[in-house]
Amino acid sequence: MRPVAVPIGRWTWATLVQLLLLANTVLVLYPLVIMGLSAFKSTREIFRNPFGLPARFQLDNFLRVWEGTNFPLYLRNSLVVTTGSVLVILTLGTMAAYALARYEFRGNELLYLFFLSGLMLPLRLAVIPLFIELKALQLINSHLGLVCIYGAGGLPSAVFILTGFFRSLPRDLDNAARIDGASEAQILFRVILPLVRPALVIVGIYNLVPVWNDFFFPLVFIQDDRLKTLPQGMTVFMGQYSTEWAVLFVGLTLAALPVIALYVVLSRQFIAGLTAGALK
Amino acid sequence: MKRYSLTIRILGAVLLGALFFGFSLAQSEPVRLTFWSWRIEDKWAYDQIIAGYEATHPGVDIEFMPFESSTYATVLSTAFAAGQGPDIAHVRAYGAFEAFAAPGFLLPLDDKVSELANFSELALNGERLRADGRVYAVPFASQTLVIYYNTAIFNQLGLTPPETWDQFLATCQALKANGSIPLANGAATAFMNEVLMGVFAPNFYGADFFNQVVAGETTFEDPRFTGALARLLELRPYLAPDFLGVDYTTAQSLFVNELAAMFAGGSWEIANFRRQNPDLTFDIFPGPVLEAGQPHLASSFLDGGYAVNAATPHQAEAVEFVRFLASPEFGQQLTDLLANISPIAGVVPTDPLLQEVAEFNRNATPYVFLVGFRYENPTGSTLVQQALPEMLAGNITPEEVGRRVTEGIATYYQPFQNR
Amino acid sequence: MVRHLPVLAPPAAGGFRLSRRGNRALWLAMLLVPPALFFTVFVAYPIASALVYSFYGWVGVRRTTFVGLANFQRLLGQQPFQGWTINAFWHNVIVFVILLIIQDGLALLLAILLARNPRGTRFYQAVFFLPVTLSLVIVGFQWKLFLNPIFGIVNKLLRVAGLGALAQPWLGQAETALLALILVNAWRWLGFPTMVFLAGIRAIPEEYFEAARLDGANEWQVVRHVTWPLLAPAVTIIVILTFIGSFNWFELPYVMAGVDGPPNRSTDVLGLYFYRTAFGEISAGLQEFGLGSALAVLMFSVILTVSIVWTRILRRREVELA
Repeated sequence: MRPVAVPIGRWTWATLVQLLLLANTVLVLYPLVIMGLSAFKSTREIFRNPFGLPARFQLDNFLRVWEGTNFPLYLRNSLVVTTGSVLVILTLGTMAAYALARYEFRGNELLYLFFLSGLMLPLRLAVIPLFIELKALQLINSHLGLVCIYGAGGLPSAVFILTGFFRSLPRDLDNAARIDGASEAQILFRVILPLVRPALVIVGIYNLVPVWNDFFFPLVFIQDDRLKTLPQGMTVFMGQYSTEWAVLFVGLTLAALPVIALYVVLSRQFIAGLTAGALK
Repeated sequence: MKRYSLTIRILGAVLLGALFFGFSLAQSEPVRLTFWSWRIEDKWAYDQIIAGYEATHPGVDIEFMPFESSTYATVLSTAFAAGQGPDIAHVRAYGAFEAFAAPGFLLPLDDKVSELANFSELALNGERLRADGRVYAVPFASQTLVIYYNTAIFNQLGLTPPETWDQFLATCQALKANGSIPLANGAATAFMNEVLMGVFAPNFYGADFFNQVVAGETTFEDPRFTGALARLLELRPYLAPDFLGVDYTTAQSLFVNELAAMFAGGSWEIANFRRQNPDLTFDIFPGPVLEAGQPHLASSFLDGGYAVNAATPHQAEAVEFVRFLASPEFGQQLTDLLANISPIAGVVPTDPLLQEVAEFNRNATPYVFLVGFRYENPTGSTLVQQALPEMLAGNITPEEVGRRVTEGIATYYQPFQNR
Repeated sequence: MVRHLPVLAPPAAGGFRLSRRGNRALWLAMLLVPPALFFTVFVAYPIASALVYSFYGWVGVRRTTFVGLANFQRLLGQQPFQGWTINAFWHNVIVFVILLIIQDGLALLLAILLARNPRGTRFYQAVFFLPVTLSLVIVGFQWKLFLNPIFGIVNKLLRVAGLGALAQPWLGQAETALLALILVNAWRWLGFPTMVFLAGIRAIPEEYFEAARLDGANEWQVVRHVTWPLLAPAVTIIVILTFIGSFNWFELPYVMAGVDGPPNRSTDVLGLYFYRTAFGEISAGLQEFGLGSALAVLMFSVILTVSIVWTRILRRREVELA
């Protein structure tokens, strides 16, 4: 049925695909490698020899960052806030998205749009009302306050993305389970959730990165040094070294490292989830 | 009600008296004062100064909390709006200061801080609310716009700091011929365009222009002003290569790494340059004049001040502390530790560079857009910062810059409207 | 596993349904009330309060009296605000269109390629998504250094490659600055739409592809008639997210160009314009909450309207294609 030339055609096709994918890999990795190398360079070297190897792998920059900040404490605080926020986003987001995607009821679309509207403006806009509200709830200077803001702020994107994925699952799935006598909760937990795991990971990372890196809300809402988050703590440090790019680089890299490490650890599962596909 | 407030007053008097005699009633439980600032890089010095203050003032515990500078105004205004402001706040001057003083968040200080007599009117005007004429903050540092030059490069080429504009251009030419970048400045960071103008233009538009334009007797379409801008165009061959894309940090780096011989900037760079490259040898000179022998005019302005939260529960202690911040003793420490120019009378900088800056200040003119036209949007600064790069790129004429600035300001400034 | 379930009859009627109705309502309430309440308290209500600010006058940072539409009049009818508003709005449109074509288009291509499981698929997936995990501050800082006219690697590479004539101050001239920012954004985000598309493609049952191939469809026809229509929900998600992201674009231009959208507002977008109006720019402007909130109201109206219309259209398309 297929033309005879197929084997050769297929071989060149595969090469072409590999070339394209490799090109993009270089495009992604090259800047990252430069960035990694920059962390070991002095500021002068960054300017004069931006893409070569560092003259020597000096760790001065790292030491300055480590000693100049309360790094371990800030790291712990950031972990608490980010983990809490992402958990809230995933839990509440799944609940709302599932109900909106898989059930028909009056006001469904309106509620969906209500959540969606939160995507359309930066929450920064509401910083004064939020401050007054958190003060009334006694959530100023508390990690819980930040978790509430990030958790609620991340809900719209979670609801939006997850609703899309929930909708794409065939209707027959839950009906079948229902006939089999499964309760509504069982359908959600046993049938549906396992199928949207990749979507949950996507939503998780989509929200984790900005939450981890945000310093605006901590700056406004956290004043106690013991409660400061990593990016917030780093701003103070950055202010002192605004033109010492080498040190700045290390600071930024160190602050980002935990997320990258987490990604590397989780990527196997993330990729496996995607590779398996939703319905296989 | 009245009796209650009387009680409080008596209590206050007793407390003050106790403080005066050096034994605090509250020794067991110190009064905690929070002091917010955007001066992250100065924290070590403030901590040191505050420790000294606390040693002589038992019963007060002051915490200096710096915030990332570009978010500081937001953090401060949000906290004030929600009634959670710090006891003492570092505030900016002029329009940015009025944003806090006008709504009543700050305590008027002119009847409480007698040390304000140590300051010049020029400094006090930066922290004076135009609506009621009262002073709401203790001025902390003045800044002057100067030209930095690399003494090693200058010596090597046998160059001396130029006196006149023609000499300046000749110096630039000589540096360029030798392969150095004459002037590190670029146009990519908006505010640096205003700085460039502030360094050179006053010597061309003259000493009278500021008062006249602020009074509305003339506008920025005045040929003195547009003529001054036209001279900036002559700088173009000597700015950093591809200067339109050179931002503030790149310009600083060019000078600090000795790739550029001069840098037009503010006196706030001194400490920064020294820290970044301890081997760098540099000196300063004021903007060049047209005719030899004319006095040099340097743009100068007040950087900010220390204010007291009007709603602080510890007003007496906070006022006591800002009185200290207004004392020559503090000014001297600030100058010695941070290389700031203190506006307090009697403070003599020990640093030779700062002494030069203080010398330039004797013949200073207010930095025109910040001091005169940053009270309403669109501010003169916003307008000029947007127009200057276009002029330097060759897209618009100096007259067009003057027209755009004047028209923008005229939207809220009556005297400009009929011109 | 699920696919092996027998074809189902419609749900049983009558009493069975009735007895479940009460449970269903309770179940729905359990699912919906907590997120809705949480969202209302910490997002909807504060944002609504902030939007109300747009109808008030302000003295410094304190709200004063109701002024009706005065703030909107300034934004839309008075120079230079009017010019800035229009300028920023068009830049957002440009950002969206280019991102949709370059970022999402390339992502779709990559996803289609990866879905065929070429050698090293897992490695490519892991790498492509990596930039998404980086903070925008780092990405912006890094690329700003790359694009620096003097020290930057981009110009140096061009010169090494003998293309020195193409070297230019990318971020410093109006003609290239916005495009440079958009491309950096695409670099940072590319992995995200790629993974969403990939997840979407892999969710399409293999039989559909096999059936099409058996019918003699070539690769292009498979993509055109199987992948593309069945990918509709993922496309909806990405188009809408790209649209909203483009109109809320803030962090990257803020880090790389600065809050005033230099040079000469050529990188100005509504997000930056809003930020510097509401929160001020220390080295030039003053904060004006009223004006900033008015701008936010405008942004909100545009984004909401377009999103609603689009979601409807795209949803209808999903149904038609499914």
